[in-house]
Amino acid sequence: MNLARATPSGAPRAAADAAEVCTRAELEEAIAAACGRIAPLWPLKHFVAVNPFLGFAGQSFHAACTRMRRVARIDMLMPRAFYRQALATGIIEERDVEAALSRAPRDWRVPVSANALIVALREDVPIRTGRSAVVATVAELLDTRAEGDRQVSRTAFMIDEISKWCAAYFDEGQSVWRLPTRGASIYGAWRASMRYDRNPEMMGIAGFRAAVAALPEDCVEAIWAVIEILGVPRAAVADYLHQALCDIGGWAAYARYLVWQSELYGKADDTLVQLLAVRVVWGYALFLQHRDPGFRDAWRRAMQAAATPPQDDQAGDDPDIAIDLLMQVAYEGAYQRRLLAELAARPVEQAPPAASPGADDAAGPTVQAAFCIDVRSEVYRRALEAVCPEVETIGFAGFFGYPIEYVQIGHLTGGAQCPVLLTPKFVVCEGVGKASAEEETLILGLRQLRRRAARAWKSFKLSAVSSFIYVETAGLLFASKIVSDSAGLTRPVKDPNTDGLDADVIARVGPRIEARTVGGRATGFDAAQRITQAEAVLRAMSLTRQFAGLVLLIGHGSTTANNPHASSFDCGACGGHTGEANARVAAAILNDPEVRIGLRERGIDIPAGTWFLGGLHNTTTDEIELFDADAIPAEHADAALRLRTSLAQASARCRAERAVNLGIAGRADVETRIRARSRDWSEVRPEWGLAGNAAFFAGPRRMTRGVDLKGRAFLHDYTWQSDAGFSVLELIMTAPMVVASWINLQYYGSTVNNRAFGSGNKVLHNVTGTIGVLEGNAGDLKVGLPWQSISDGARLVHEPLRLNVFIAAPLEAINGVIAKHENVRHLADNRWLHLFALDDAGRVTHRYRREGQWEPLPASAAESMESKESTEAMVAEDTMVSEDAMLSEDLMVSEDAMVSADSAVSAVSTVSAVSAVSAVSAVSADSTVSAASAAFEDSADSAVPLDLGIPLDSAVSVDSAVATDSTVSTHSTVSTHSTMSTHSTGPTDSTGSTVSAD
Amino acid sequence: MTNNLLWLIAAGPGLLIVVGLLPARRTLAAGRRTSLLARIAASASVAAALGAALVVLFAGTARTECYGVSGIGVSLYLDALSAMMFCLVAFIGLIVVIFSHHYLDGEPGQVYFVRRLCLTLAAVLLVIVAGNLALFAAAWIGTSMGLHRLLIFYPERQAALLAARKKFVASRIGELCLLGAMAILYRRFGTLDYAELFTAVRAWQPAFTPGLHAAALLLVATALLKSAQLPLHGWIIEVMETPTPVSALLHAGIVNAGGFLILRFSGIVALSVPALDTLAVVGGLTALFGSVVLLPQTSIKVSLAYSTIAQMGFMMLECGLGAFSAALLHILAHSLYKAHAFLSSGSVIDIARASWTPSPGGQPHPARMAISIMAVLFVTAVISPLFGASLTEQPGVFALGAVVALGLIHLIANSIDERPNGYVIGRTVALALLVAISYFGLQFAMEHLTAGVLPRTASLRGPFELAIVVATVASFGAVTLFQSILPRHASQARWQALYAHVSNGFYLNTLANRWVLAFWPNPPQPNTFQPYPLNLMKKPKP
Repeated sequence: MNLARATPSGAPRAAADAAEVCTRAELEEAIAAACGRIAPLWPLKHFVAVNPFLGFAGQSFHAACTRMRRVARIDMLMPRAFYRQALATGIIEERDVEAALSRAPRDWRVPVSANALIVALREDVPIRTGRSAVVATVAELLDTRAEGDRQVSRTAFMIDEISKWCAAYFDEGQSVWRLPTRGASIYGAWRASMRYDRNPEMMGIAGFRAAVAALPEDCVEAIWAVIEILGVPRAAVADYLHQALCDIGGWAAYARYLVWQSELYGKADDTLVQLLAVRVVWGYALFLQHRDPGFRDAWRRAMQAAATPPQDDQAGDDPDIAIDLLMQVAYEGAYQRRLLAELAARPVEQAPPAASPGADDAAGPTVQAAFCIDVRSEVYRRALEAVCPEVETIGFAGFFGYPIEYVQIGHLTGGAQCPVLLTPKFVVCEGVGKASAEEETLILGLRQLRRRAARAWKSFKLSAVSSFIYVETAGLLFASKIVSDSAGLTRPVKDPNTDGLDADVIARVGPRIEARTVGGRATGFDAAQRITQAEAVLRAMSLTRQFAGLVLLIGHGSTTANNPHASSFDCGACGGHTGEANARVAAAILNDPEVRIGLRERGIDIPAGTWFLGGLHNTTTDEIELFDADAIPAEHADAALRLRTSLAQASARCRAERAVNLGIAGRADVETRIRARSRDWSEVRPEWGLAGNAAFFAGPRRMTRGVDLKGRAFLHDYTWQSDAGFSVLELIMTAPMVVASWINLQYYGSTVNNRAFGSGNKVLHNVTGTIGVLEGNAGDLKVGLPWQSISDGARLVHEPLRLNVFIAAPLEAINGVIAKHENVRHLADNRWLHLFALDDAGRVTHRYRREGQWEPLPASAAESMESKESTEAMVAEDTMVSEDAMLSEDLMVSEDAMVSADSAVSAVSTVSAVSAVSAVSAVSADSTVSAASAAFEDSADSAVPLDLGIPLDSAVSVDSAVATDSTVSTHSTVSTHSTMSTHSTGPTDSTGSTVSAD
Repeated sequence: MTNNLLWLIAAGPGLLIVVGLLPARRTLAAGRRTSLLARIAASASVAAALGAALVVLFAGTARTECYGVSGIGVSLYLDALSAMMFCLVAFIGLIVVIFSHHYLDGEPGQVYFVRRLCLTLAAVLLVIVAGNLALFAAAWIGTSMGLHRLLIFYPERQAALLAARKKFVASRIGELCLLGAMAILYRRFGTLDYAELFTAVRAWQPAFTPGLHAAALLLVATALLKSAQLPLHGWIIEVMETPTPVSALLHAGIVNAGGFLILRFSGIVALSVPALDTLAVVGGLTALFGSVVLLPQTSIKVSLAYSTIAQMGFMMLECGLGAFSAALLHILAHSLYKAHAFLSSGSVIDIARASWTPSPGGQPHPARMAISIMAVLFVTAVISPLFGASLTEQPGVFALGAVVALGLIHLIANSIDERPNGYVIGRTVALALLVAISYFGLQFAMEHLTAGVLPRTASLRGPFELAIVVATVASFGAVTLFQSILPRHASQARWQALYAHVSNGFYLNTLANRWVLAFWPNPPQPNTFQPYPLNLMKKPKP
């Protein structure tokens, strides 16, 4: 590139000759890589859970941990004290540690034994935040040189400035005077603003405006120029850019959300790249301030060090992180061990649901109630089943298969009420029940007029001069408002959903499903759409026969006051909205007689006596509201009455259970207190949301009915026998399971490192741009959940566990979905979740390893956990995977070694028949461990990491070399999946991890 | 002497001090317990405040004897002013204490938070009921100290330290000014007891010496520094580094102390023309500064902070124009409004979700606005003398009346947009009428309530005041016009430049930060700080 053009005069190049500088194509690749590592952040108006590690899904969990720690000093694991405490309190037992150790990849430098690991754990790791990143940014280096004082180094100022500017650019309604340049692209608008903005110079950053103006107008060109001037080595550019983005991770995440939304509709969007350019140019401006030789020398050294990045997928490079990773695996292993034991202890039901008293196939249970898969539904479903055993409950994503855009009265557009992976397919308008067209027009007009009058009043309140008069006339009225808000009698502001409507109208509003054109857009559903969608939904719910007289479809939502994160408690499957509209739409369509006829033609015969009823589960108060009750046919009147009684009992039971975590268990006034929480404007924990989530079940309810899953499991109903072609399984694994994993990892991230992946302390939250929150008065936008959502101060209410997915389906079918969908494959193979398979009797039979391989679990897992016997014989017999003769010998050997270690672990939670074979394999597992630990000791002695810089394929051969003969011979029968060859032979840095973390 | 029963009202602040000094360990249970005790103490303060209000209502101004040496000591003084302020602060204190109970639940340092809150609240209450300048000054300093401890509730937050240090500098300068004023007054009158002091000052009235002018100016400086006025306002926009209830107490209780000081010593300040002019100029500038810089702010709490700066400025302007009872009304109303605004700041997402419709009516046209404004100014100039509020007789009333009219015009003009609608306009005009009636009604009532306590609005002091009044009316009119022109020209280069300067608050705070960092850099914080408790595994009691 033309350096003379790009480089402002007098800016010396820091290092490197031209040969080291990347080309534009390489730069674009690096930019894409850096931007790809940022997960999106949904705005607070419809906040949904996002996997904060979304950009790392393509690499293994442990590689992501290593990289985040190295590049941005961000931890993805708990502090050591946590694991120590878990050991001390018996949550992790020594056998869990042993199991974790034995499944550690062979090339890791790990302690020789569980005891050694536990000893090593006693030492806290100073490097957590102390060790400098391998690729230093200017900001990083300045911070280091200022001994961590980010005010003195001006990096805190930089972040405040970028954040303030982003807030102005993205603002959706907080500011009265909007950023004048916001119509342009971000980088362009920022450049334009910086022509006038003297704030950096007032802070002592001389020549800031000139520095910005001298750089190219194009954002990529600008990044390129800076990279070149700074002399960032080619190999380090992506990490450099990634670390730069991490400094402004919150706004980067919001930009990523905008990109995500554009891409969802097939549009290209470079918002994030533009933002990156802003950040990189800022760093450059700081760089220009420091011309002293000390800084320049340090910079040159940092860039030299950055030229040879380590390989993140070999966590063994860093024994400290290996120890933390192993402890996390042990912690999760301990949970799995207990969960499997609990599931196994359940009396196994071989028969399909015994709900039908008569032999008549058509007769189902008296009531079926479908709930969202949300973990909070599990508590309610268990309560309902307990008070009313003849009720059959069903779990399904809470949008009930209707991806709608719900347009409220007076709005032009609405929110997307569907999982964020989808785009709405239908537009549904809110209407007023039993209202004539004239009346509706009146109501709409009145709402809009009230809105305009309110707007004039608001302007009076906020404008420069009139605000003084506002205060003197209206201020005293706030005395009574403060009292009534404090007492929970009023909301601090009106409910946005009902604001401007009269009380009698509010009671009548609901979704309108009739097809009609509103504002030039087709809304509602025509006859064909209704039938198609109804069929799809029923099949996806595995609800195609044995319909009950009353079928409830219960969405969920929360009621909280004064809570910026309110929508995080609403239904994620409805895109951060309440599920009311979706449930009502689904019920109305399924009650449509013409739909019933159409469905009958398609093989789903809903009896004439079946009535669908939409409802809403208030997850804060655990009440259930039923909608359109006046339309219930007379024949169901009694049943509906009994149902209401049961629901009331179930609600009370549910509240009593939840009261434990709210710290009010056993009190006589539990209900009053819970209701008060939902209205308390000072309540930072109105409910616990999805805290505690740890498992996902896809299978018939009978497999989990009767087990107390403690509100920690997503329950999705699924019957593979009625799933022709496994299309429903595919749907479940690509949508609800992925969403559950997003939720799980969001809670995980917010727990392990609330500073990086959570939104910090709620008592400091400061809503900015009506988009997100700042912690305090400035700084970066915060992502994720507040600390108050995962801890009550005394303990963690959410345990940081990766999701344990249980699927009741044939292994081939699950493998089919995994093979077909890359994102599912990434989740499973890279250990972002743990996958288990259930047989038809509901026993957990297999555990997924990777690349389509499954490891069988022994038949009875209830007792004698001490057993160390492996199930190697079963592996040999049952292995799913066909032998692949194409594989080279050493690859097979290394894979085998891992299988042996893994299966030794699985045996920890199981009991198996003692056999000669298992005895042999136990030996082999031990010998593998000791071989690996011998290697550890060797390398420790020579102070050289075992395989630093060795490409993966050679690492594998090292592995096989250290494996003992017995390992090799015992496991030579085990075969590997054919996809493995391509996967494991690629010695790439970012994705080529052949060795799984656990 | 029955007046010594007045000491009973000291029980409120007294209990708060006791709770604030109770030994307690840093545990969650201790935090909750202390919080409940604080609620009792704060309720007692409210009871004491109501008692005080009754005393003043039926017995008029009351005071205790002064325990101390030659008027320096401990005494209480109750009149309409202190009774109203006592009620206000005790009420907001109770609300804040109640709010904090759930809000800070689970916070490991809750016990410290509650204790500091109690001590700060007690100090503010003592400022209000103090009966002599010495106690007043001690409580005044105590307020700053308590607030400082609250601001650094999270000592690991560097931004909190920076803000607290800026505040520290401003507070210390202010306290020096206060002590200086105290020294001058004591030298002149030989007492610091209010009753004696105020009587002596009134007797001295005809011959106001330069020394007394200096004392008045020092008092004004103290008040301006306390109320975050230009140019040392920067700390108040950065104190969101501490939990929301502190912001509520600060913006609704503590910044008012500046205004209260002026009102308390209005007998002295009102006699000094330079002091009043200073108040009017600084207050007026701050009011305009705050309300314009507020416009481009993007976060709710920073917006509210600029609003506080502006409102305090307006209150100071009212004092400077001699409209003391209007200033008291402003303090009361603003405190209640701002306490609610801060405590409910989490609801801003609800508001955003409700403001969905793109306005069907568009924006009001600036030309119409300009004409309206000129009409208003004309009407004010011509009609208000008919009601006795002539420019020379009551300049304060005249200026403030013009501001009221501007506000009403803004309200009505906003309802007459590109597609005027009878319902909207009718409703807004009715609202405007209601606003006007309540405004003048409240002003009248307040003037009545404080008759004899606060000086009445005086006639024109001289040409400089005339200039201030004219400048006030003209600049407020200009800002109103500016705001209605804004949306149409925003993209022009000079507006872009103006936006940059305004959104940065004309760089005043940046310079202050740079200065504080240069002379008082933050010590690097240990990186190993663990913000959240790690005793994670304890299961809840079933």
